Amino acid sequence: MPGLVGPDEVRRVAEAALDLPGADGVEVLFLHQWGGLTRFAKSSIHQSTWREDTGIRVRVVSQGRLAVAASNDFTKDGARSAATSALEMARVAAPDPLFPGLAPRADVPERHGYDQARASTTPETRSQGVAAVVGQLRAGFHAAGAFETIAAEVALVNTEGQFCYSPYTHATLSALVAGGEGGAGVAEAHAATVDAVDPEDVGRQAFRKAYDSQHPRDLEPGRYEVVLEPMAVGTLVAFLAYVGFGGRAIVEGRSPFSGKEGQVVCAESVSIYDDALSPDTLGIPFDFEGMPKRRVDLIDRGVFVQGVHDRRSAKQAETESTGHALPPPNPDGAFPLNLFLGTGEASLEDMIGATTRGLLVTRFHYSNIVHPIETTITGMTRDGTWLIEDGRIVHPVKNLRFTQSILEALSNVELIGRESALASEFFLAASRVPAVKISGFTFSGKSDH
Amino acid sequence: MRKRIAAEAVELTRAKDCPGEITTVVLDSTQVILQVHESVGHPLELDRVLKMEEAYAGTSFVGLEDRGRLRYGSGLVTIVADATMPGGLGTFGYDDEGVPARRVVLVQDGIFQEFLSSRETAPVLGEGARSTGAMRASGWENLPLIRMTNINLEPVDGTLEEIIADTGDGIHMTTNSSWSIDDRRVNFQFGCEVARRIKDGRLTELYKNPNYTGITTEFWRSCDAVGGRDEWQLWGTPNCGKGQPGQVARVGHAAPPARFRNVQVGVR
Repeated sequence: MPGLVGPDEVRRVAEAALDLPGADGVEVLFLHQWGGLTRFAKSSIHQSTWREDTGIRVRVVSQGRLAVAASNDFTKDGARSAATSALEMARVAAPDPLFPGLAPRADVPERHGYDQARASTTPETRSQGVAAVVGQLRAGFHAAGAFETIAAEVALVNTEGQFCYSPYTHATLSALVAGGEGGAGVAEAHAATVDAVDPEDVGRQAFRKAYDSQHPRDLEPGRYEVVLEPMAVGTLVAFLAYVGFGGRAIVEGRSPFSGKEGQVVCAESVSIYDDALSPDTLGIPFDFEGMPKRRVDLIDRGVFVQGVHDRRSAKQAETESTGHALPPPNPDGAFPLNLFLGTGEASLEDMIGATTRGLLVTRFHYSNIVHPIETTITGMTRDGTWLIEDGRIVHPVKNLRFTQSILEALSNVELIGRESALASEFFLAASRVPAVKISGFTFSGKSDH
Repeated sequence: MRKRIAAEAVELTRAKDCPGEITTVVLDSTQVILQVHESVGHPLELDRVLKMEEAYAGTSFVGLEDRGRLRYGSGLVTIVADATMPGGLGTFGYDDEGVPARRVVLVQDGIFQEFLSSRETAPVLGEGARSTGAMRASGWENLPLIRMTNINLEPVDGTLEEIIADTGDGIHMTTNSSWSIDDRRVNFQFGCEVARRIKDGRLTELYKNPNYTGITTEFWRSCDAVGGRDEWQLWGTPNCGKGQPGQVARVGHAAPPARFRNVQVGVR
């Protein structure tokens, strides 16, 4: 089993790239990840993978020109070679007048997200987890999904004297159960340690949804109240971040939040923030250019506060970086990877009970942007959707297409759940969100299952 | 082309949103390839049909028993998978199981014929069935999956200009901007960068934010014009996602413009 390279060895190798004649600045981003992936379908493991990757990305600055070279050669010679290659490319690049310089030396908060004992999770452990999922199913149903355990270490070194290092572990189990008479359900768990993932619970939840969603009936599209479970809320929050919270889009007038600082953008009950340092999420304490992480309030009680910045967009906006740079090269700018939607006081039962005629939605599928400034997206319901009438679940319904403005939906939030869960819409990012009840949500089409 | 794009960009700043209506839609080849990709290529991947990708990407409305029987589209619709064509993003010598690149007819004159398959999956299609050579991994660290090669709508006859002149009233859409389709590839909604009203066979008012929605087989069965060889163009889709965690593949598509009847446009 691989182990941590460790901060001392990272520094020793990376520093070989820093002393580069002709360069005004050099930054080395180190990424080392290993882990196993066990995929299953039709209640059997069909793909099993173990992989380890060690890489560096070297960003070089020369007379205001920048370039990045990536390499898997984690040796002093490899780091030096990548830096030389980046310098060669930088010399023919156009200068970037908005380049603010590399991150200065700064303290980075402590964050403990690495589980040494669990960094070496075996295929047997994951297969036992899959067996536990499948063990929750009755005859006529089958399970599909993935159980992945990852250990990683990230480090950043630059010529300004900044050095940050953070190891972490992640475990993710997702399970879809389908069968019976058109039933389908899903559940997932994300945690820093594999011990915190309960496969029996994931399997039980997914099976219960699949069992209860059998014999789905046709429902005409239209405007309905909705109770969205955390996975569905995670889609709305992630797409809102994608179209809106990036500082570069805001300052360039391409965001729905451009010029909206201090204005009401949704219901007063809604607060959205990013906090990689929270123990309730899976984050690292610095961004990918070495800036320390901190909590950033994006929407506070319905009022838009600010977006997130890397150093470049911060200079554009004449403000400070919030510590949200992605790995270079990254033309899109900063992104919040550890979002939270603040919890409320309602239970899921309260939300269903408060619904006159609406839909309970487990999750959305294949969502995409229709109109970024209106924050309108479209997508399908999937894996468990039910009609609610007079405060009671009446029957499951076939999948519906929604076409809906996210900010309009968040303006019509009536109740927010008191419990939250991690939901991952995009690679690298996870949002901790509760269920919400919304008074009006537009379904524009329907499918046949 | 530069002048046309610049003029369209200026015009878009003043354009109205595409109105909602049921109408005839003429798609240029850049959007036809997206339609082929999402509503023909993906549902014919045999691993999806066999529920091997059910948890994330989903399954397919197409069943094993549908070969040679399912009317996928109108008689004008012939779709091939061709990993041998020069210059395609889905062109190669051998797939990642070592199967030589092949040209396979997926849909012939509107009737579904063949799946995209691998050595592991092909035997379910019967004795003697062999892989169509579509097994590819996005890198050294991933297991190969069934991926599209170059999936092409074969040309029929006529130019875009002739199709529009023959259309009467409708909407012409070009350049994909958004895509969404359900987990069995039945209900889709796709957006484009720009549209123009077709009135009396001529392009008129320009609209921004156009989109259209439909049901896969209903849509392809409504196809009543497919452009000819002169307008058949090869494009690339460099960002095809599949797998869990996701693998990104480069695939190719060639298509001419095509026309579809009774389509819901302008969903907001």
